[in-house]
Amino acid sequence: MRILIVDDSRAMRMIVARTLRLAGYDEHELIEAVDGLHALEVVAQEPPDVVLCDWNMPQMSGLELLTALRSAGWRIPFGFVTSEASPQMRAAALEAGAMFLVAKPFTPEDFQDVLDPVLA
Amino acid sequence: MTYIPSADDLEVITREVWTSFLDGDPSGLIAESGDMPADKITGCVYLSGAYTGSIMLQCSPPAARDAAAALYSIAPASVTQTEVVDALGEIANMVGGNVKSMLPGPSTLSLPSVVQGQLSVPGTRMVREVQLSWRAQPLFVSLWQQAS
Repeated sequence: MRILIVDDSRAMRMIVARTLRLAGYDEHELIEAVDGLHALEVVAQEPPDVVLCDWNMPQMSGLELLTALRSAGWRIPFGFVTSEASPQMRAAALEAGAMFLVAKPFTPEDFQDVLDPVLA
Repeated sequence: MTYIPSADDLEVITREVWTSFLDGDPSGLIAESGDMPADKITGCVYLSGAYTGSIMLQCSPPAARDAAAALYSIAPASVTQTEVVDALGEIANMVGGNVKSMLPGPSTLSLPSVVQGQLSVPGTRMVREVQLSWRAQPLFVSLWQQAS
């Protein structure tokens, strides 16, 4: 399985990758994109099995990326990994077609809870 | 009555970020007043909407370097300025995003800004601050609000 991590912070991409390995997903291929626009290119070139995406990014936000993917017909499971996790944000994420929202800071168990059903 | 997160709230959120990603030892971060050097590193995110203001995180250059080293899992001596800016920006974003969740909404959170020295947002005033110390270096977190 291929997991796409989208975040404009290189430190956060590393932390997400590290946490995924701690959560037991080290056998999966982890690929990265630095913002929504870059993620669109990556999806077109090497479609992932799941997308883990920051909300607030330059060039193209996570919500704009999700909308663009769905408009283009991509049905890849998509989840947000964001510091903003209010009930309103969660509702907006689900309404746009996201499967889940993981709040920063997170634990390996947080990823297991949302990814095990997707990657099983 | 609008609830404004307390200084204790700022401390709890900062501790959660710190113990999750920077320092697994909770005793490394203590509540302690101190002097912030003039060449401090400031990370800031802005809020606009139902609540307009900012959340700022300030620390000494050694603390910023150590924070970046912890996030990147590298030796402090090999940390670059780019990594300090990325790390402080992401920490400010995490603290700010969690503070935002406690404030009245809807509001929009900006991308983070990171500068060396003081960052002032015209027309805002500080409404909360917590002064902490991490590895004997000062770390201040503050919440600012647009003056009415």
